[in-house]
Amino acid sequence: MPHLRFTFVKSPVWGKTPEQLQKDVIEGKDPISGKPVMREIVEELTAPLADEDKATRTIPQSAGPDHFGPDTADNLQRLFEEKGMTDHLPIVLPTEEKVEAMLKATSHKADEIVGKISPTPGVFEYWSYTVKQVAVNAVMAGADPKYFPVILAIAAAGKESMSSSDNSFAEAVVINGPIRDEIGLNYGIGALGPFSHANATIGRAYTLLSINAGNCGKVGETYMGVIGNPANYTNIVIAENEKESPWKPFSVRHGFKPEESVVSIFEGWGVISAKNSKYAVWQKEMNFAQELKNIFDDQDQLFGGIAVLSPAVANYIKDEGYDTVDKLTDWLYQGPDGAKPHFWSKAQINILVTGSSNNLYWDYGGMRYVKSVSVDTWR
Amino acid sequence: MATLLHSAVLNPEAYRTVRAADEGAPGKTQSFRSLAPRLESLHGKTIYLVDTGFGGSGRFLDQVQAWFAEHMPSVTTVRRRKTGNIFRDDARELWNEIKERGQAAILGVAG
Repeated sequence: MPHLRFTFVKSPVWGKTPEQLQKDVIEGKDPISGKPVMREIVEELTAPLADEDKATRTIPQSAGPDHFGPDTADNLQRLFEEKGMTDHLPIVLPTEEKVEAMLKATSHKADEIVGKISPTPGVFEYWSYTVKQVAVNAVMAGADPKYFPVILAIAAAGKESMSSSDNSFAEAVVINGPIRDEIGLNYGIGALGPFSHANATIGRAYTLLSINAGNCGKVGETYMGVIGNPANYTNIVIAENEKESPWKPFSVRHGFKPEESVVSIFEGWGVISAKNSKYAVWQKEMNFAQELKNIFDDQDQLFGGIAVLSPAVANYIKDEGYDTVDKLTDWLYQGPDGAKPHFWSKAQINILVTGSSNNLYWDYGGMRYVKSVSVDTWR
Repeated sequence: MATLLHSAVLNPEAYRTVRAADEGAPGKTQSFRSLAPRLESLHGKTIYLVDTGFGGSGRFLDQVQAWFAEHMPSVTTVRRRKTGNIFRDDARELWNEIKERGQAAILGVAG
């Protein structure tokens, strides 16, 4: 909101002693205005309003021209880079022809509103976007038109791929159903890596859409991640290995039919190999369910626990007596000897299966389930 | 040899509309309300210090309260912890209390 009176203080505030706060913050200066903090706060409460502060009004929002160029390809690449419309990797220039080809991959009209994204809902306003705008960003990401219904479903979820938070959050997109084989999504060797055109460009389109249609990733304005997150380039695209999983697909466990194609969005810190954990000890006789429980019970609670299991590990756990994910979740959720469970609810525990079975590796992390959207409704 | 021209390309930010947080239908404008009237002086006034519950908001406001006690003792400060979602405008009862009993408010929003 323009002209809303803010005083910024030297951050971080949390983690400081009262004495440090007094010295660094209260007796310090606003790092933006340079004014002493408390003097500025008093002024903001007492300085008369300017005419523009009193006006109830609307401000036109301009997204710029519909087209750029014609120009040379190098100049257009540079223009997109300079305008902050890329992920700083070369893009496919979104010509009218390429965007038209993308639009032909859905039955929806070009001017239909697909959804809205805010860099942090409640803090920044939402930007709404049309099918055409999603198509432009899908072209830029290098996506094939046959991936477009998946990208539209992700867009319809209305979840930012990059939060403004200084936490450096990551997003994951879980994909279930026949669309995985229709478009060649990788759920075998290296499922989460850069080994499939579909996985890579669908994930990249999500990030470019969030930047250009959702106002995300503007460093210093709508992005403040302290360390940043490499997953933000293409997000964590997880096509489940439904063929080799011993359990029902994630989407089916959330009310969809097996023949439906679905995307499900997760947010959190990301995932990492379980071998990172002190609890992942290889023994003659493995107990993966116990290993998983030990890891989850040692995690932060905010985003709960997510396990991305290889089919080999998932089947190992099934043979340990957990023939459904519900059974496994019930057990993982239990507190020790009747004590209070570590997580706040069973919904904080999520189990996915992807990758190959050439060894007993798996990933874990802190990511929570946000929502699912049908891909088929965007065909 | 001259560099070949590329055909025009589409602006990936075009076609968007802005929807103000928690407000109505999207459009190509964004609405803003007037700010609340300011006080001539804080002397003898009651100021609410509202902790949204996010980051170090509460710890910061502890120090703000101590500063007013020391430097502007005629000011009465009232500490409140906002209920509901830390990012949402969902504390109508608290806002009404501030309108009824206070003359100003400082919100600690992050840190």
